[in-house]
Amino acid sequence: MKRGFVLAMMVALGLALAQGRTVNLLWSGAITGPTSDVGGPYAAGIEDYCKYANEQKLIPNVTLNCIVRDDQYQNPNTQRILEEALDRAKPAIYLGYSTGAMLQLKPLINEVRLPTIPASAHIGLIEPPHNQYMFLPVSSYSEQFVALLEYINRTKKNARVALVVNPSPFGRAVVDVSRRAAARLGQTIVDVREVGGGNLDNTALLRALDAAGVEFILHQNVAGPVANILKDAKRLGLDKKIKQLGAIYTGGSDLIRLAGDAAEGYLWASSYYTLDENAPGINLQKQLAQKYNRSADILNSTNYTAGMLAAAIAVEAMKRAAQRFNGRIDNATVYQALIGMNGPNAFKPGFAVSTKAGIEIDFTRTEQTGAEGLRILEVKGGKFVPVTEPFTSTLFRQVRNP
Amino acid sequence: MRNPWAQTGNYRTSYEQDTTIFANYREIVSVVLLLVALCLLPLFLERSQVLVLNFILIYAIAVLGLNITTGYAGLISVGQAAFMGVGAYTVALAAPSLPFWLTIPLGGFVAAIAGFIVGIPSLRVKHLYLALATLAFQEIFVWVVGRSPALAQGAAIPVEMRNFLGLEISFRNHNYFWYYIILFVLVLMVIAWRNLLRGKYGRALIAVRDNDRAADAMGMDPGRTKLFAFALGAFYGGVAGGLLAYMQRAVVVEEFTLARSVTLLAMAIVGGLGTVVGSLLGPAFMKFLQIYVERLSEWMKANPFIQSITPAGVDVASALLPLSFGLVIVLFLVFEPRGLYNWWRLLRSYFRTWPFKY
Repeated sequence: MKRGFVLAMMVALGLALAQGRTVNLLWSGAITGPTSDVGGPYAAGIEDYCKYANEQKLIPNVTLNCIVRDDQYQNPNTQRILEEALDRAKPAIYLGYSTGAMLQLKPLINEVRLPTIPASAHIGLIEPPHNQYMFLPVSSYSEQFVALLEYINRTKKNARVALVVNPSPFGRAVVDVSRRAAARLGQTIVDVREVGGGNLDNTALLRALDAAGVEFILHQNVAGPVANILKDAKRLGLDKKIKQLGAIYTGGSDLIRLAGDAAEGYLWASSYYTLDENAPGINLQKQLAQKYNRSADILNSTNYTAGMLAAAIAVEAMKRAAQRFNGRIDNATVYQALIGMNGPNAFKPGFAVSTKAGIEIDFTRTEQTGAEGLRILEVKGGKFVPVTEPFTSTLFRQVRNP
Repeated sequence: MRNPWAQTGNYRTSYEQDTTIFANYREIVSVVLLLVALCLLPLFLERSQVLVLNFILIYAIAVLGLNITTGYAGLISVGQAAFMGVGAYTVALAAPSLPFWLTIPLGGFVAAIAGFIVGIPSLRVKHLYLALATLAFQEIFVWVVGRSPALAQGAAIPVEMRNFLGLEISFRNHNYFWYYIILFVLVLMVIAWRNLLRGKYGRALIAVRDNDRAADAMGMDPGRTKLFAFALGAFYGGVAGGLLAYMQRAVVVEEFTLARSVTLLAMAIVGGLGTVVGSLLGPAFMKFLQIYVERLSEWMKANPFIQSITPAGVDVASALLPLSFGLVIVLFLVFEPRGLYNWWRLLRSYFRTWPFKY
């Protein structure tokens, strides 16, 4: 009788251990409301990668619970959702979203020591103060802009450039560093204009920039306003005269869908592989989109890739934390795993291009940017195709700080 | 003399009685009980739930100010969020060198100066034209912040307070600490509000709202009264903004946009213009509406059936919040223009006269 009882207890214990425990991952962002065209696919990428991670048991003996919440692009909601999760779910890692909310939450994130991977690549997130737990999955907007200026310098010396940025901290983040980089490269920043959504007629803007002798327009924005400017440039016959380029959230399938053939020739800085390329991450993306019945719009979105990459980094960090710390997965061990993700331990999921050293994603305590390699892609025949090999901005680190 | 505890109505026989803050002892007792309940409430709530309460109380202070400008003086303002922003940025700049009990009133005073300046057009224009003037201030505020390196061009300026009289303020007690500070400030502001409105300045506000030429003929100064209303309403907004800055640990311009001003106006309308109770009920109603619509949106977005019946390219879940927001305002304006305050009044009246109908 006694032996039977002990046996039953051991079986129950074994079953419980086999079932493992649950670790929480939190993402909150704009699934609805402003910028939901970015947030929706990004959230889908995280959800799908989480399902895949659980099905494949990527973290042995652990069930991953991905809490995906809609903050409607409102900072008080983002704060509430994060604090709710800290109270109830105690996430081991936080995947954030918007620039404003992330900048606002930096002190809180630093205080609770929660490793955070935001969708926003604002340089201010990884700059002091309170930057210790922030990790950008790809290069910052500022680095992308300096890389674009370097690319321009390769094709045209002493170029005359205009910056067209979103009227928000997200847009303005690139202005100062671009001025410093342009000065080093002998380029002239002719004008800096702020353009937000609802820019239905950009004739005055384009005529003024043309009159000022602008040869290149650099965009730091979302796809909608850029598409309108591209269409107006084509209408005014300026599409051949002024070359337009932009950072990560300006491009992708959304831009081509919105701008149509006016997008032809647009140059885009991106760290991600395109859907036409044969990369392990992209193949997984196609496979998961089909498996979880995602629409073509979501599959084609770079933001779906971006969401998957963020989730992949988080899951890998959790897995490594479990391996290094005897199965302990919490904010402290995940942080250690993240800052140890470098050198031979760099992560290579195949969503983003690698640097010349063959490194796709790496972090250290002080270098909080994941994918530092990027390429310039150009719209040709209704598709973005790479026109450069992967490279890392050499100038950015020299001009990052004034 | 009637037994004050058994009083069933108002039996005011003098001017002094007519201007008392509390009509009878029952009102005093109910306010004391409410305050005790509010003081005890955080003991039963999680930190994140206290955060929601903090937002409601801060918006209540801002809506009280809006109720002075719009509710009492009848001057439409769609710039209350900008006044909050003036207060918040003042606090952000002053916080490194001054304690919070000085920075918050300072934020209010700077906002009051801004309110005074913004109120100047009210000497000349009225109604929609005045609303446009306040709208211009709202946009100018966002524009100026976005172009001011000293204000981080709208990006975050940290506002931190780690210690108060030896009490360490950390993540664990931050929301609770600020709850009691905000509650204390709100009570002070409500008392000041009630005191103001039972005096000659308050009556001047109402007189100017109802007919400024008649008020002028009766010896009041409509111009000064309007400027006073703007400055005071902005002071309340500035104090609310200062509290928000501390509560959120940082100031970003996105908190003080036109959308927030419209939300505050909606809170005032839904709560009931020109009432203290409405200033509390409006923000609470709108905040909870937002939270529950957010849950509904999330459910709709995740529900395959809802997604299958929705036409391609139509994002119903995204439209739900602005739709419900607009619908609530329209329904209140059409069916209950006196706002939630009127429901509160009817409920109170029902219990006071129970079991009789009148």
